[in-house]
Amino acid sequence: MTASAAPTEIAVHRYGGNGAPQRMGFFTDTTVCIGCKSCEVACKQWNDLPADTTDYGRRSFDYTGSLSATSWRHVHFVEIAAPTVGREDLDLVAAAQGQPLPEGGLDRWVFASDVCKHCTNAGCLDACPTGALIRTEFQSVIVQPDICNGCGYCVTACPFGVIDRDPYDGRAAKCTLCYDRLQDGMEPACAKACPTDSIQFGPYDELVERAKGRVAELHARGVDTAYLYGAGDDGADQIAGDLGAFFLLTEPPERFGLPANADSPIQQNVPVATAAGLAAGITAAASAVVSLLLAHRRGRR
Amino acid sequence: MSHGGGRAPEAAIRARESRVVDGRDVTPAVGTRGEAGGWRRAINGARVGGFKPRFEDGRWSFLYRRDTRYAADAPDGQVAAAARRMRGGEDLPPEVRGPVIRPNVWTWEVPVYFWFGGIASGAAFAALGCEAVADERSARLARFVAVGAAGCGGPLLIMDLGRPERFLHMFRIFKTRSPMSTGAWCLMAFSNCGGAAVLADLLGWRRPRRALTAATAGFGTYLGSYTGVLLASTAVPSWNRSRGFLGPLFICTAAASGAAATRLAVSATGAPRDHPTRDGLAALESVAMAAELALSLVNERRLGIARRALEEGRPGRLLPLARALTVAGLALRGVARRGPRPLDQVPSVAFLAAALAYRLGWVAVGRTSALDHEAVAALARDSEQAL
Repeated sequence: MTASAAPTEIAVHRYGGNGAPQRMGFFTDTTVCIGCKSCEVACKQWNDLPADTTDYGRRSFDYTGSLSATSWRHVHFVEIAAPTVGREDLDLVAAAQGQPLPEGGLDRWVFASDVCKHCTNAGCLDACPTGALIRTEFQSVIVQPDICNGCGYCVTACPFGVIDRDPYDGRAAKCTLCYDRLQDGMEPACAKACPTDSIQFGPYDELVERAKGRVAELHARGVDTAYLYGAGDDGADQIAGDLGAFFLLTEPPERFGLPANADSPIQQNVPVATAAGLAAGITAAASAVVSLLLAHRRGRR
Repeated sequence: MSHGGGRAPEAAIRARESRVVDGRDVTPAVGTRGEAGGWRRAINGARVGGFKPRFEDGRWSFLYRRDTRYAADAPDGQVAAAARRMRGGEDLPPEVRGPVIRPNVWTWEVPVYFWFGGIASGAAFAALGCEAVADERSARLARFVAVGAAGCGGPLLIMDLGRPERFLHMFRIFKTRSPMSTGAWCLMAFSNCGGAAVLADLLGWRRPRRALTAATAGFGTYLGSYTGVLLASTAVPSWNRSRGFLGPLFICTAAASGAAATRLAVSATGAPRDHPTRDGLAALESVAMAAELALSLVNERRLGIARRALEEGRPGRLLPLARALTVAGLALRGVARRGPRPLDQVPSVAFLAAALAYRLGWVAVGRTSALDHEAVAALARDSEQAL
């Protein structure tokens, strides 16, 4: 399977000015997202991904539901009920068909286009036993479809629930940051398609600077809840060592199905869990020897 | 192949609509699964239309014009403080919109493999013990059990893959970071080492046999524990929070089930009831299962909200069943010293069944825990317990 022709002239613009490889990323500014889902469509079209079955929930107009092996962009529709209204009282499908909403109804409706975060400490990348998951020269994380054998370990190692094993195909799949387009110097399909530039693509450092400025501007305009998810944090506050695709949010992260803190579970736990396991293993082997020695000594008497 | 979702929905459309009109293939493009769609340059080496160097098309936006007031200068620390305010602290928003993480895609082969791997590892310990007391006959049986169980594990591990024909890709690299990689290599080393020990025994080479038996037990310490490490090194809260316990828990059941399988084999091949190896293995089983019981009680106590996942659905049935079998086995072992003869084997069978139920239960926890959105989100907030 050839995803694209071998890169030839491309190396010229693949790197930053000083010749060092440059990290590229996404900055998703949810304050200008209008929920049109054209990023989802553009992603599916460019990457030739099959359609998902659509299934409306009663309480949300968001029918994509979550990222999956065939949905590499997902626009969260978050309908926030007024404080006086229980969420279970909302029936948005009925409302769309003309039924009235309960008194007060919806307080606000926010959107956020979710995507693979291309983490600095990527759990999936750490977990992959075959080396199918690699980090590219753009510091993005991709699955090599000709290597992946579908062991499924990356699925549980991702703290954001991004990567998934396709039930029909058997391989893991996720956003590639349009690796093939990047090799040709083009921005990813979703960023290209985004009509409001809620999805911004560029060199990582430039994006972070701009995003910080955006937060300051929003604070100045009175939107105190604006913050960056996945960039601009210091040390221990960083999410997975900073995210290659980060977000400007105005609601707590859990409203978008994002964890408040995350890191590669492999890097967190493997050393300590292995030490505990091996210590127990050695104890068990020693116990086996001791119990048999004792039994035989007793038997001889 | 266990991932089998059957035929992909779009395959039917493709089959139905596939046609060629005037020499042109006009089959609808309904998608390719598992990878980004392929394309080819019309002219090799040609530049893409509209190409601008250094991603200039992506770096321009109408938002960035001076009159849009898109961004201001951010004072130092303001942005980090805003993030701390919004995602620090312990309080969840009134609504958690899941899913936050994804449940595992593994099927029955994985827990059953964990069980066989445990038996193999425990039997390798038993073989080491039997060598230590120079009980060659029992050591031989224990080695057979170890190699046989490891041999059953391999095919299960292959069957679970989404692409079983690519199982050799597991040995493309050796990756110390990934328990899945080190585990696959360990199973390979264990099987070969155990097989070589059996061979050395058949050939009557005493010293290599003892060295290989010891080496097999050495690999067994990892074979029996890495499965727990593998689960602990995931984002699933109930597994992740059991980081210091899953390896030891799995080793306990491994030692017990391996000893039980060996003991049944030793008894079945005619060792008398008062044979000291049978007593020794029985003691090992009981100690290991008692340790398992104690460790799992301690672990559950400290799991906090992640404990919920152990108590509902499939794990809510399997883990208590395993515990009941363990307690029954231990009680019976206490009684059977004086009791009637046939009861002697029942605890070993009970421990083997308990080990299987524990494995099935702990793997099933992955699903209930990953789908408990509130617990996942709450534990991500809980920075104290994160360490």
